[in-house]
Amino acid sequence: MILVISTCKDDLSIFEFVGPLQKLANGCSFKHYNELTSRDLNSADKIIISGTALADFDYLEGDWEWLKTFDKPVLGICAGMQVIAKTFGLKLAKNVIIGPQPVETVKDNPLCEGMFNAYFLHTYTAGKPFEILAKTNGKSCMIKHPEKQIYGVSFHPEVMNENIIKNFVKL
Amino acid sequence: MRLGVLYSGGKDSTLALMKAKEHHDVVCLISIISENKESYMFHTPNIDVTELQAQAMGLALVRVTTKGEKEAELKDLKKAIKDAIKRHKIEGIVTGAVRSTYQASRIQKICQELKLWVFNPLWLKDQVELLTEIRASGIKAIIGGVFAEALDESFLGKDISTVIPQLVKIAGEHHINPAGEGGEIETTTLDAPVFKKKIVIEEFEKRFEKNSGTFIIKKARLAEK
Repeated sequence: MILVISTCKDDLSIFEFVGPLQKLANGCSFKHYNELTSRDLNSADKIIISGTALADFDYLEGDWEWLKTFDKPVLGICAGMQVIAKTFGLKLAKNVIIGPQPVETVKDNPLCEGMFNAYFLHTYTAGKPFEILAKTNGKSCMIKHPEKQIYGVSFHPEVMNENIIKNFVKL
Repeated sequence: MRLGVLYSGGKDSTLALMKAKEHHDVVCLISIISENKESYMFHTPNIDVTELQAQAMGLALVRVTTKGEKEAELKDLKKAIKDAIKRHKIEGIVTGAVRSTYQASRIQKICQELKLWVFNPLWLKDQVELLTEIRASGIKAIIGGVFAEALDESFLGKDISTVIPQLVKIAGEHHINPAGEGGEIETTTLDAPVFKKKIVIEEFEKRFEKNSGTFIIKKARLAEK
């Protein structure tokens, strides 16, 4: 079972940032990060951590420590990538990008390949010591934990790159 | 949160407004009247009806006219939003955007500069699902414009909820969007559960030529429901 974790402070944002992910992940369930239980984590085969509105930063204050011991695949999208970066001690650099931008895959990976356009709606980016899998305009936009299957994308694949979500579901 | 709705008067912005009202305090409508028929951002037939729609909902209306030149119209949008902040103390914007990254990203940029929240409650919604939800919501929106070869004059003025099977069939055959996301169809809302009064059309004019047509509302009034 795939679990989508919502980072949305405001319930009105769920339609925009969580609903499309649930649909792409075959109608899976979702939980807000503040309501997450160990039972939710144990019963999930994979986890997608959603993005949220540009004005929303509350998620950075949440408890994401479980990520350090979680051994199944995780995909963090935008805000979801930021919480992964924060949890593993990566430096977040301010880098506001809004709208479609070209992305270049720089390392072979099971989620994407080649050049493609992606929809960005984010304010921060992160990179090393995670592996950098893809870049936009020379800056990291897709990262992976060096050992675990924990991925982060700073763009929103649900908008223009549904295949990335579908490939993650198939991992 | 006090919200302003970017309101074209069509089915999508009305449904987005209804969803926003379930969570927040919608305090005004923001409408942009474009003089450019080719505007990617704003042009829609019957935009003048937003005045009656605002009255029907008991909401304030912030209106700005733009010449509709490509990036200049964004300055006019920003001006309208700033006006709504000043007059109605809005903290966020709601839009009926579904798929257009062109429109959505430009609105996001303006709102980020103005430190406003943005809500797009219909974002990425499937076109048939959207039509079904419009019908279930109780929104009565007529087709005010058709802009695709496969859509003929007979659709003009019809309540879109009554022609969903036909639209879905034509969309499948001709590869167009049944809810009009690609600009194939424009709608005008005459009634909805959030309307305290309904809009009654007294005079209209249908125009159809070269595979596109409009249903122009020339005179309308509010009536008790």
